[in-house]
Amino acid sequence: MSNRIEIDFTRSEGAVLRLIGLVERKGFDVCSVDMPETGPGPARLTLGVSPRDASRRMDVLGRHVAKMYGVTAVRSEATREPCLERAS
Amino acid sequence: MTAQPIKSEPVTQPESMTGAAAVVRALELAGTEYVFGYPGGAIMPVYDALPGSQLKHILVRHEQAAALAADAYARVTGKAGVCMATSGPGATNLVTGIANAFMDSVPLIAITGQTQTAMMGTDAFQEIDTFGITLPIVKHSFLVRDPAEIFNVFAEAFAVATQGRPGPVLIDLPKDVMQASFAVSPQNDHRARSTPWPDLDPALIEQASALIAASRRPVLYFGGGIAISRSEAALRAFHSRTGIPAVATLKGLGGLPTETPDFLGMLGMHGTRAANLAVNESDLLICAGARFDDRATGRLASFAPHAKVIHIDADASEISKLRHADIAIGGDMAKVLDALRPGPLSIAPWREHCAQNKTRWAMRYDAPGKGVFAPALLNELSRRAGDELIMTCDVGQHQMWVAQHCRFSRPQAHLTSAGLGTMGFGIPAGIGALFAEPKSTVITVTGDGSIMMNIHELATIKRYRLPLKILLLDNSQLGMVRQWQELFFEENFSEVDLYDNPDFAEIARAFGLEAFTVDRREEVDGAIDRLLSATGPILAHVRIDPRENVWPLVPPGASNSDMMEA
Ligand SMILES: Cc1ncc(C[n+]2csc(CCOP(=O)(O)OP(=O)(O)O)c2C)c(N)n1
Repeated sequence: MSNRIEIDFTRSEGAVLRLIGLVERKGFDVCSVDMPETGPGPARLTLGVSPRDASRRMDVLGRHVAKMYGVTAVRSEATREPCLERAS
Repeated sequence: MTAQPIKSEPVTQPESMTGAAAVVRALELAGTEYVFGYPGGAIMPVYDALPGSQLKHILVRHEQAAALAADAYARVTGKAGVCMATSGPGATNLVTGIANAFMDSVPLIAITGQTQTAMMGTDAFQEIDTFGITLPIVKHSFLVRDPAEIFNVFAEAFAVATQGRPGPVLIDLPKDVMQASFAVSPQNDHRARSTPWPDLDPALIEQASALIAASRRPVLYFGGGIAISRSEAALRAFHSRTGIPAVATLKGLGGLPTETPDFLGMLGMHGTRAANLAVNESDLLICAGARFDDRATGRLASFAPHAKVIHIDADASEISKLRHADIAIGGDMAKVLDALRPGPLSIAPWREHCAQNKTRWAMRYDAPGKGVFAPALLNELSRRAGDELIMTCDVGQHQMWVAQHCRFSRPQAHLTSAGLGTMGFGIPAGIGALFAEPKSTVITVTGDGSIMMNIHELATIKRYRLPLKILLLDNSQLGMVRQWQELFFEENFSEVDLYDNPDFAEIARAFGLEAFTVDRREEVDGAIDRLLSATGPILAHVRIDPRENVWPLVPPGASNSDMMEA
């Protein structure tokens, strides 16, 4: 089972890189990225993620993301489709 | 951490100013007194704007030392420390210091020069993606592309660095932005926002108090969050009204004065047996500003196996990160601790049991032989230095001996690189501490490996006539690595022998410091007197037995209850 995390944030230099990097560093494989085109200001990034081991929890990830500068809301939900591992 | 004082009176500003002048003014507005730094090409416009400002620039001899000194300054004052470097190698030299502040939640503003905006991305001379390199080790970062943003960015940076769980903030400044002029408008005169803590939830406080009241074997486990939030008074009050046996993490030391009854010392890998036993047997852990770090918990699965957990932390993302919290309370640490009123507790037999363990497993200072026994020396030195002591240390066996054997009266008395374990922290930290509290007795304890990481900073000590007292414990080894090779790598000693060390006392003298060497135990008393009575910078070079180890020890991956003794 993979999960989707939806992040509302204010666009600023490096914000997308910072968010995706954090999710990776906290032990989640990012397997899909979706961000509708926006101008400066509010934006939404939706990531399909799957934990790299059983100790990685979505609620903890959500709290890590929520405290990032410029993040205004975080929602996560479990999805049914498995998140494909990257081909090695 | 206390919020940085931001001056609130309106400032009279010229109609137009350069980006560099705005940087200097923004730092002044944030209440900055010292900037630790090192100049170079891309940051030259800011250095050009420094003379005549209210800022005092401290010229170090390596940018890493600038960041580490600013880090220690912040730990002591509670204000953000500020460091500055040029682009490229200046910025990369800062990186270890920024990471150090990140791991130990220290408010730091790191200012870096950057190549001109138009040249960015072209591999220009001394162009490095500082913003990208530091992304994982900052709380936030800004790349300023418009000088008119500078006041906003700096005010915001200071707020982010100091509020909530503190951390480092990077501000990358392209050279052309520093040189450009802009018209100052009232919006530029920006004051930092202040984010209030969320209100306490009375229901949670009541549940936590009830859990404490019902517990028969509670342990108060506190960490660096106490120092960061300056909550030691609330911690002490909570401890004295409950009498709950307490243990500290490496960064928590000093939260309770070392001699406090019911304080069992440091827990974890090099903790006391009494502390580790108490945690192991406890039925309730009250975790205040600690994060279940692996050096403290040993094998997590068997850490405090019978205990429920109340976790109090300013940072919600720490809650249940590693250990499930039965009750989680976020927010202002001091307010939470003040609010917890469990009433009379039935823990007399438990306190007695912990006290007996404390006596039974107390550290011993009667080592045989004529050589200097470092734990005894450190214990005596810290006691004689008294409440004015600030001890900074490097990383290795000597760092653990400091934690185990020194007396600390307050959290700011013990400055150690805990999360990153940065060899080289000690001397720059001593420098930062002396700028923060010039009247304190600042002692740096270092090893013969660590001192070489930032030995050039003896020049900074000399230049600013800082009365730093350096105690160099020289075992002619990378002692901590040697100890692990002895115990866990079948004595396969690999690249740890520093037999060809230079004459450290001579080196110190060459930098203009007073220095002397000690070899025998009978010289220790006199050495302590000489160190403490010196009015200028001084280095005591103390030779110790290379085979000495740090005891007790929890082997890596083992449970804290499986401690090894000498
Ligand atoms: C910058 C850095 N490099 C390497 C290490 C790994 N390390 C940890 S302790 C240690 C040995 C320290 O030797 P010394 O300063 O002489 O202290 P001792 O252990 O002998 O007291 C080393 C190499 C580190 N923590 N930091």
